[in-house]
Amino acid sequence: MIKAFSFVIPILFLGSLALAAMRKVKVYDSFTKGAARAAPLILSIFPFVMAVTVLTKLLSASGLEDDLLSLLAPAFRFFGIPEEIAGLILLKPLSGGGSIAMLADLLEKYGVDSYVARCACVAYGASDTVFYVAAVYFSGIKRKKLSLAIFFSLLAYFLSLIVCCALCRVI
Amino acid sequence: MNAIFLFLFLLLGVATLFTDPELFLSTVLDGAGAAASLCLALLASYAVWLGLMQVWEDSGFTRAGARLLRPLSKTLLGVEDEPTLVAISMNLAANLLGIGAAATPYGIEAVGRLNDAPDPEYSSCMFFVLNATSIQLIPTSVVGLRAALGSGSPADIILPTLLTTAVSTIVSCLLVWVFIKKHRRFFTRKEVAGT
Repeated sequence: MIKAFSFVIPILFLGSLALAAMRKVKVYDSFTKGAARAAPLILSIFPFVMAVTVLTKLLSASGLEDDLLSLLAPAFRFFGIPEEIAGLILLKPLSGGGSIAMLADLLEKYGVDSYVARCACVAYGASDTVFYVAAVYFSGIKRKKLSLAIFFSLLAYFLSLIVCCALCRVI
Repeated sequence: MNAIFLFLFLLLGVATLFTDPELFLSTVLDGAGAAASLCLALLASYAVWLGLMQVWEDSGFTRAGARLLRPLSKTLLGVEDEPTLVAISMNLAANLLGIGAAATPYGIEAVGRLNDAPDPEYSSCMFFVLNATSIQLIPTSVVGLRAALGSGSPADIILPTLLTTAVSTIVSCLLVWVFIKKHRRFFTRKEVAGT
């Protein structure tokens, strides 16, 4: 099962290139043409990514992150969410890279197959990086209702976490 | 976004001054540096995925994919325009496969094109929540991580993850549909029935 998953991406690449060649596409020309679009795209999103990462670093340096976590722990307990994964839950909407590192930490600390670790895995997959998506996709575009949509995504994310922790008890 | 950024920056900045004023500038620069290295990593993976996607586009696979996902994009996002539908479908497909890096370039393009949608506020907000709470069919990275750390059954989180991510997506779509959509079909149908 797991072995099969590791073949998905290689097959995607090899199959696509082979099929494209069969359709008489100039694969090298296409591939480099597409790759050339990456640099301008990155340059255009950099300032918005930077704004988010600066805030993230300030959050942990100011010590407010720890305060926030200890403040939220009772609320998380009330909803049946193990407080050990609170940090992960707060980080996930901000940073994909940071939260996968934190997930790896949790898995090692509590054991891969423990309840906390399984909750953490499912919580990690429950939602995407809400603020990152908002900053990158909507860089330079004004939408009045975007903050409402951000709030809705976070609300839905939190609801799904409650479901997730309940599910992990039975499945 | 302006208000949120200013508020958070001031709040966190002042709090940092209370912990250690020396930390302030180094933390801000640290954050900017994190963005720089993140963007460098993204540059590499975007170059590869955009290259592959250009190959798809030139061989007509994207149009086939767009046709598959069109009914969904049409009803949910209220878009008719062909290039927008292609961008949206590619973005959704990449999200379903758990390839976030490939989803982003198409997402950015789609958001830009949604400016011309009949109801841009609704369409882009719905598109945003679809991405922000993305449904993942295969949580590739997590399963891989569990396998690497020696889990007894690394794949047993797939089902709960699928259910959980479905809950977050459905709930947020419903919220957007109820609170942001201007002309809901439900009401128009009622009016038609009344006349």
